[in-house]
Amino acid sequence: MKLGAGDYAHVVLQQGGIVPKGTRVEVFRQIFTVFLALGTLVGVVVVGYMVYNAYKYRDGDGRGDDPDAPRLGELPTGGGGGRKLFLSFGLSTIIVVSLIAWTYGTLLYVEENPPGEEGETTNIEVVGFRFGWEFVYPNGHSASTLRVPENETIRLSVTSDDVFHTFGVPDLRVKTDAIPGQTTDTWLRADETGTYEARCFELCGAGHSYMTAEVVVMEPDEYEAWYANTSGPNGNSNSSSAGDAPDGSSALGAPTGAPSVPAAASSLEVVA
Amino acid sequence: MTDENTKADGGVADATHGADHHHDLPDPGHVKRWLVTTNHKDIGVLYTITALFFLVFGGVLALLMRLQLWTPGVSLLEPLQYNQAVSAHGLLMIFWFLSPFAFGFANYVVPLQIGAKDLAFPRLNALSYWLYLFSGILMGVSFFQGGTFSGGWTMYAPLNLPVYTPNIGASTAVLALTMFTASVTVGSVNFLTTMHRMRAEGLTLRRMPLFTWTILLTTWMMLFAFAALLAALMILSADRLLGTTYFSATGHAGSLLWAHLFWFFGHPEVYIVFFPALGVMAECFQTFTGRRLVGRKWFIAAMVLVALQSFLVWMHHMFLTSINLQIKTLFMATTIGISLPFDLMVFALIYTTVKGKVRFTTPFLFSFGALMLFILGGITGVFLGAVVLDYEFRGTYWVVAHFHYVMVGGVTALVGGLYYWYPKMTGKMYDEFLGKVHFALYFVGFNLLYFPMFVAWETPRRDFVYPEVFVGWHQVATVGGFVLGASFLVMFYNLFVSLWRGEEADDNPWQYSTTTEWAIPSPPPLENFPGKPTFRDGSLKFLPGAGSRTGGTGGSVADGGEFTVEEATDGGASVSQAADTHAADEPESHASIWPFAIGVASFVLLFGLSGLQNASFPSGIEGGFYAALTVGGLVGGLAALVAMATEEFHALTGPFGESWPFEGVENTKLGVWIFLASDVVLFGAFVGSYAFIRVAEGWTNWHHLIPEAHVPLPGLINTYILLTSSFTVVLALVAAEKGSRWGLVGSLATTFVLGMAFLVNKALEWLHLFHVHTEAFPQGWNIGTNIASSTFYLTTGLHGLHVIAGLIVTLYLLVRAWNGAYLDDDRPVEYFGLYWHFVDIVWLFLFPLFYIL
Repeated sequence: MKLGAGDYAHVVLQQGGIVPKGTRVEVFRQIFTVFLALGTLVGVVVVGYMVYNAYKYRDGDGRGDDPDAPRLGELPTGGGGGRKLFLSFGLSTIIVVSLIAWTYGTLLYVEENPPGEEGETTNIEVVGFRFGWEFVYPNGHSASTLRVPENETIRLSVTSDDVFHTFGVPDLRVKTDAIPGQTTDTWLRADETGTYEARCFELCGAGHSYMTAEVVVMEPDEYEAWYANTSGPNGNSNSSSAGDAPDGSSALGAPTGAPSVPAAASSLEVVA
Repeated sequence: MTDENTKADGGVADATHGADHHHDLPDPGHVKRWLVTTNHKDIGVLYTITALFFLVFGGVLALLMRLQLWTPGVSLLEPLQYNQAVSAHGLLMIFWFLSPFAFGFANYVVPLQIGAKDLAFPRLNALSYWLYLFSGILMGVSFFQGGTFSGGWTMYAPLNLPVYTPNIGASTAVLALTMFTASVTVGSVNFLTTMHRMRAEGLTLRRMPLFTWTILLTTWMMLFAFAALLAALMILSADRLLGTTYFSATGHAGSLLWAHLFWFFGHPEVYIVFFPALGVMAECFQTFTGRRLVGRKWFIAAMVLVALQSFLVWMHHMFLTSINLQIKTLFMATTIGISLPFDLMVFALIYTTVKGKVRFTTPFLFSFGALMLFILGGITGVFLGAVVLDYEFRGTYWVVAHFHYVMVGGVTALVGGLYYWYPKMTGKMYDEFLGKVHFALYFVGFNLLYFPMFVAWETPRRDFVYPEVFVGWHQVATVGGFVLGASFLVMFYNLFVSLWRGEEADDNPWQYSTTTEWAIPSPPPLENFPGKPTFRDGSLKFLPGAGSRTGGTGGSVADGGEFTVEEATDGGASVSQAADTHAADEPESHASIWPFAIGVASFVLLFGLSGLQNASFPSGIEGGFYAALTVGGLVGGLAALVAMATEEFHALTGPFGESWPFEGVENTKLGVWIFLASDVVLFGAFVGSYAFIRVAEGWTNWHHLIPEAHVPLPGLINTYILLTSSFTVVLALVAAEKGSRWGLVGSLATTFVLGMAFLVNKALEWLHLFHVHTEAFPQGWNIGTNIASSTFYLTTGLHGLHVIAGLIVTLYLLVRAWNGAYLDDDRPVEYFGLYWHFVDIVWLFLFPLFYIL
């Protein structure tokens, strides 16, 4: 970060201990809760005030005509009340700017030093294709299921073989675009073992709704054992169980949650 | 479709302008009236009805989607059908419904509010409408060419290429949108010229009514934003039809290029569709509370700020792409910055109700409801401004719910506008009870439809498969969708029946309304005002004389004949006809069939072009069909353009009092300047795309993609040719000023010859490059050979098209000069010169970029 303001925010916000930190799930939950509470409060107050005013000043309660009422054909001018206007504007500015500044600390944290970075991190390549995901491990092992150890920060480098996709695991609150010819980086960290679903979040064709993959979070030991057994690109690949791949050119026979085959085999090649 | 619309219009027309005047317009009862009219009120009615048709079209698609979402998974629609419904729904609602709906009011009301009898270029206004209608019909046609575009309204690359969306209909949809963009550009030029040049005396910019203010800012944003979209769509069309390789998948940043181009347009577009709604809200709040807007000047300042800043926030749509943290931070800041002026506007509207006499009429209910919905949309938008939250909301129903609250919130206000101006446009009152029933159903339906989407926000956007836990919420939303749709049936019934059975509306049915449209009959007569409107004394007056149909010197105008009504011809952007010497005695014209003809021809041309792929038509009868349409449309379009240029047509010229800051710039000249401003953005986007891709490829690696045969010499020669031709255009103008007919003819002929030399030289150069045979390029260097050839041929080709257009105009000027034109009025030559110099200047940028660097 070269930005002075950024550095400042860094120091003030991150050392102050008010910046949400932890896994993406925790960070999201904290910020979302605060936004939701404040947003609801502001919404209720503003809409309530609006309705109250409209009702209070409704016509027909016997008030006389205002001699200064607008007349047809007058040149438009403003009504009074500028002070109140700027007071409310200032208040809303403070709320919005402070909220965003507060989350900016978390953005720096999420982008620059995710938890558990001290140790060695695993970097897994994620390749999106129509209509599935391929995960390539550092040893060259490639699979259609993402297996990661619990409580460890995993770095993901995401790209696409064909069109613009977005890789996301909703339950782990991780998401990033998968863009052909580009690589985007993100990380994930799961607190609990279990099976989660990864899916595509950018419209990519007939199979978009079914472009999912399993994410299995394992006990670290179990994971180590599994990883030691995997081999290079030509070794046993989880994707051997793949059924018939959805074909982009046909009207897709709805292969619900079907595991998919590696990119080259199924997707249409682009003439570059 | 045309017939239906015109018939429907005929129905309205019975209630509109009386036919007791002598003018060139047929009676409203005749279908022909609606094909030839150039009157802003007629066109406003046409826009409104056509937009409502597309609301139904897009709405039915939305209901199909809601039915599909009743349960997760495939039910009613196949996956690709669902994707088509999603895409067409977005495109139709945003482009063919929202903006045109607002521009129905803009057409009808803005000239009335500023005291103008019509727009500056009435025929161009009709042309905007016909291009709009026929682009929409073309969009409809695309459904029958193997299916329409299915890649979402954002049309992300490379899914938007034929490899992934191979239907001809997908190309047609892209071309339809291109045609719509042309309509918007023509309309923007027209509105900007009108609003800047033709305001009544005393109506300075600061004093303009708020609805007019919002339209002014909207058209400025449109002018530049749609130029960027036009560039994006032209490149996409070239990729789809000619085989250029801008957006194809890997190797360079084609995907990101599209995202940048699209969102550079796309974010201003949000304000483009929302501002007119804000204008309606401001008018309705003032009228129905009987109060003037609190903080009016700050309200306007806030809108100006938003309009400018709207071009600096586009990357917040791309937070999850590979842009770096610094840029994210910058765009997070500009995004928060642009949300704040809206807080001010919202509070200004709320405080306006205080101490007012609030009357809950249908227009006010809709405006009031719109503000509530917008507040909810705004608050949920702040969530998206926090980048960390945006990461998770991207591609989910949170986004869907948020922008529907904002955009359909805007629709809510515009529906209020429809009720507000309905008595003015038709002379009849709608049924107030049914209006309130409509609002009740609408408001309940709206919230039933969109609020559950916030609750079920973890539903992936554009998916029909979603977690089982959300089934209940989606079913509520579907019910809400049908309630919302049904509420419009109430509206259609109400407005339709009221045409016949409604009470007669007074000039001013609303107490406390202030703007000029309420000071004239409902509906207004063809010439709008009983006299020349002026605000010189601080309030509206009609001066006798000058406002009548035949222009002339308003005898009672106190300050002499300075602001008398003058008529001159209405020209195209660069083709303008000499003002008739006795123009001042002529009534202004209201009818021309040529805008309609150009609309039809453009439709046929683009329908034909949709059959292209890799620069060739399919074989067999199908290919012949498309080829014939292309040729027919091209020839017909050119003929119609020439016919329109030679037609005698008298439009208003202004100024009528206030023209700041363009007092000294005549209407057509200002129109040309404004058009060129949008053309700057168009070329800017092309050059920007080239630079973006070249940087992504590696600036110097680029040379490997270009054959040795591509040398600077032909370009250098063309540079000199063009510079010389600029000089001969100056000579032509000098000759015209001096009254030298043969000097004018000679200079124009030289310009034409030089322009042809430019094209011939370019053709030879291209042919040579097409047929190079080297080790690196055994098949020649064609348009689709690689990205370098694509950018070269397409960008210089776009410039070449500008040269061709210029030469057609030159030829036209030449023929007329031969017959003695332009000697007493050289303005057409001058305005053509502006265009021609611009084309030359563009080449001065393209030459180094594509030949030297």
